[in-house]
Amino acid sequence: MEFIDYYKLLELDRTATKADIKKAYRRLARKYHPDLNPNDKQAQTRFQQINEAHEVLSDPEKRKKYDEYGKDWQHADQFEQARKQQSAAGGFGGGFGDGGQSYSYSGNFDDDTFSDFFEQMFGGRARSRGAHRGAHFKGQDFNAELQLKLSEVYESKKHTLTVNGKNIRLTIPAGVENGQTIKIKGHGGPGMQGGPKGDLYITFRILNDTTFRREKENLYSTVAISLSTAALGGEIEVSTFDAKAKLKVKPGTQNGTKVKLKGKGFPRYKKEGQFGDLFVTYTVKVPENLTGRQRELFEELKKTGI
Amino acid sequence: MNYEDLIPADEICVRYKVERQFVSSLYESGIIQIVRIKETEYIPNDHLADFERMMRLHRELDINLAGLEAVNHLLKKIDQLNEDNMRLRNRLGLYE
Repeated sequence: MEFIDYYKLLELDRTATKADIKKAYRRLARKYHPDLNPNDKQAQTRFQQINEAHEVLSDPEKRKKYDEYGKDWQHADQFEQARKQQSAAGGFGGGFGDGGQSYSYSGNFDDDTFSDFFEQMFGGRARSRGAHRGAHFKGQDFNAELQLKLSEVYESKKHTLTVNGKNIRLTIPAGVENGQTIKIKGHGGPGMQGGPKGDLYITFRILNDTTFRREKENLYSTVAISLSTAALGGEIEVSTFDAKAKLKVKPGTQNGTKVKLKGKGFPRYKKEGQFGDLFVTYTVKVPENLTGRQRELFEELKKTGI
Repeated sequence: MNYEDLIPADEICVRYKVERQFVSSLYESGIIQIVRIKETEYIPNDHLADFERMMRLHRELDINLAGLEAVNHLLKKIDQLNEDNMRLRNRLGLYE
């Protein structure tokens, strides 16, 4: 366990006054507050460290202990022992009923928000004097990432996720996009001092396991057609996402021609029964190895000026 | 809008220990929406997160209403930029 220099964290020297500490905390908290730095884990960690530093340095009793034993935190227990013996001898009631810890506490904070160093020095239940601990606070929001295949989000499906050891069953609506985040209410961290639970935010990573390219609800594909079909027209069969469709190719179709198959694209997110379009691009295949007969026919065509 | 999607503003004030004026100010600044049904004011469920964020910033960082308006505006802008970024990345994927 490493020693944490709380003064350094708050960019203060050891002679800092209470007002200096408050000012430094406010300045840094404004910079690193999680609400001002959404999805920034580094800022969140820094904010927790700043909070912890403020928790200790703004409390005269904790600051005194930290100043005295900070670097030699291992001796803090001996310090506590001596204190207990002293209070037992002096007859001051002592202890607040938690295995001999000498600090009062209130609230129901997530222990993970304070460092091991803090826990060791001040105990896990020694947090009562923060600047903003009075109200009910919503618990921490959790962020998770879920990887799905494109073919898995073509239809709304039920999935079971395990978040922090708990199984959550949820229906993922068809048409969810890569990078999209959805909120699952009440599946985040526990609230503080009776506040509501936080929310769970799931960000989707959609891996394309198909030959289609997707942009929102539209799909794109490329289909090869023969030179004769392109020139004379005809009927071809193309794959849609979940079936096959017959297409009429117009005579004289050029390479790169795009056709739209209305409603054959991807489902629109949260619009049941509505689909985007499928855009098919034709690539005209030029024959490479002609038979003798084909060559003859092409020679004939050439004479006609084609 | 269904009743279950609405939370009475007074209940929010009690639960979060905030003054009624604070809720009204957030509404007047356009940060949250208020729905009035038969003399009772409600905050829609999907505005609760915005309300909570503003309450935390106000309490923890001492940001006044003008500051909250600016913060809210910039956060919405970040959201929009993130969304644009995601859309462009997905589009870029079409050509990769």
